[in-house]
Amino acid sequence: MRNILRKEMRLSASVLSYLFIVFGLMFLLPGYPILCGAFFVTLGIFQSFQAAREANDILFSVLLPVAKKDVVKGKYLFVCLIEACALLLMAISVILRMTVFSESDVYRSNALMNANPFALGMACVIFGLFNALFIGGFFKTAYKFGRPFVSFIFAAFLVTFIAEALHHMPGLGVLNAFGTDHIALQFVLLAASIAAFVLFTLLSYRKARENFERIDL
Amino acid sequence: MVAEVRKLMKRYPSFVLDEVSFDLERGKITGFIGRNGAGKTTTIKSMLNLIHPDSGDVRFFGMPIVDNKTGIKKRIGYSTGTVSWYPRKKIRDIVDIIKRFYETWDDTAYHKYLELFSIDEIKTPLELSEGMKVKLNLLLALSHRSEVLILDEPTSGLDPFSRNELLEIFTKLKEDGTAVFFSTHIISDIEKCADDIVYISRGKIIAALPKADFILKYSVDGETLEDTMLRMEGGMIHA
Repeated sequence: MRNILRKEMRLSASVLSYLFIVFGLMFLLPGYPILCGAFFVTLGIFQSFQAAREANDILFSVLLPVAKKDVVKGKYLFVCLIEACALLLMAISVILRMTVFSESDVYRSNALMNANPFALGMACVIFGLFNALFIGGFFKTAYKFGRPFVSFIFAAFLVTFIAEALHHMPGLGVLNAFGTDHIALQFVLLAASIAAFVLFTLLSYRKARENFERIDL
Repeated sequence: MVAEVRKLMKRYPSFVLDEVSFDLERGKITGFIGRNGAGKTTTIKSMLNLIHPDSGDVRFFGMPIVDNKTGIKKRIGYSTGTVSWYPRKKIRDIVDIIKRFYETWDDTAYHKYLELFSIDEIKTPLELSEGMKVKLNLLLALSHRSEVLILDEPTSGLDPFSRNELLEIFTKLKEDGTAVFFSTHIISDIEKCADDIVYISRGKIIAALPKADFILKYSVDGETLEDTMLRMEGGMIHA
């Protein structure tokens, strides 16, 4: 498994997948829809799929002495690794905004969503949707990724729109908590979102394995 | 036998691979001949389990490929013409990744063939000529000591000099005990180096036998192998 992940990272990946991890730091931007950072990270991963297709990566991988399901696992592992790195940057940004910058005027007067555990959870949901809609969709054919990416874009922006709108609704202001306010609720929401990410990823991985096994290359 | 193909069937809306059967032997070169669209690539992809045949059986080293894909893939090498993997990566980097998948990877053999094929591992596949791309694919297959080489149209698009050079390499490999199976639509390639001929036309195997037997059975006096095949293929079309 280490070999197939190494192959993903060194041969299949586009350098943009690594560079775009930095967009996780958009969680530090005030006055900006921070969940777009999660979308930009997925845009970087998309570049790897594009580069891999141009390099005949899927056929190459299937010809290696590995099971077909391991080819799928390699892609999922690579994507999850990039997402985990981005989430780490986002988590650091959230911690900074919850502690050092918790009283900062520039963040307090921000009309848009605050970077807190709930926001981090929403980023997890976006990544989960990417894994389910884009990677899952890609492995239906192992070469078409246009439609899967477009459906992911719609889903990602819908989640961003809803997440940005929710805290303006009556009674839902707690979602935009600053510092350690409503910390228990914030962490419950984060845990639920991580569970959603894991569920989306695992279900789509299992389906992708089945689909890919059936594909003629 | 190193490989046995039995009654492979694959139905497409406009094409049927119809009960394809033949064997490959150690230390022999088998030429797989047929015109474009005859079913050569479909057969090869079915052999490698890249496509799923509707029925039939493919065995390598006595084991069915469907149940032993990983183990069998370690012992065979495949190259499809001039397709280049990771065209913008340095050959050295590609090899560094590939070798980790094979316990049988032989660095000495790799450097031997690297020198024999005059491949510069600092180059990227994009910088290689068509002939060199074929050689690179061969290099990768040979460096993990493949016992069977399955090559889909390796000579297509090559100039006569490179083709000749490649056929000489096949002969050397056969002498080392490797089974070489290559598809081609160029009859002179078969004439030059094949021991056995598998002839496919419109999805059906017309003949699968040693070249000498093929000539004896199908050629009329004074005919070259090319004349014989052209006559047979012409007969097939008008049948």
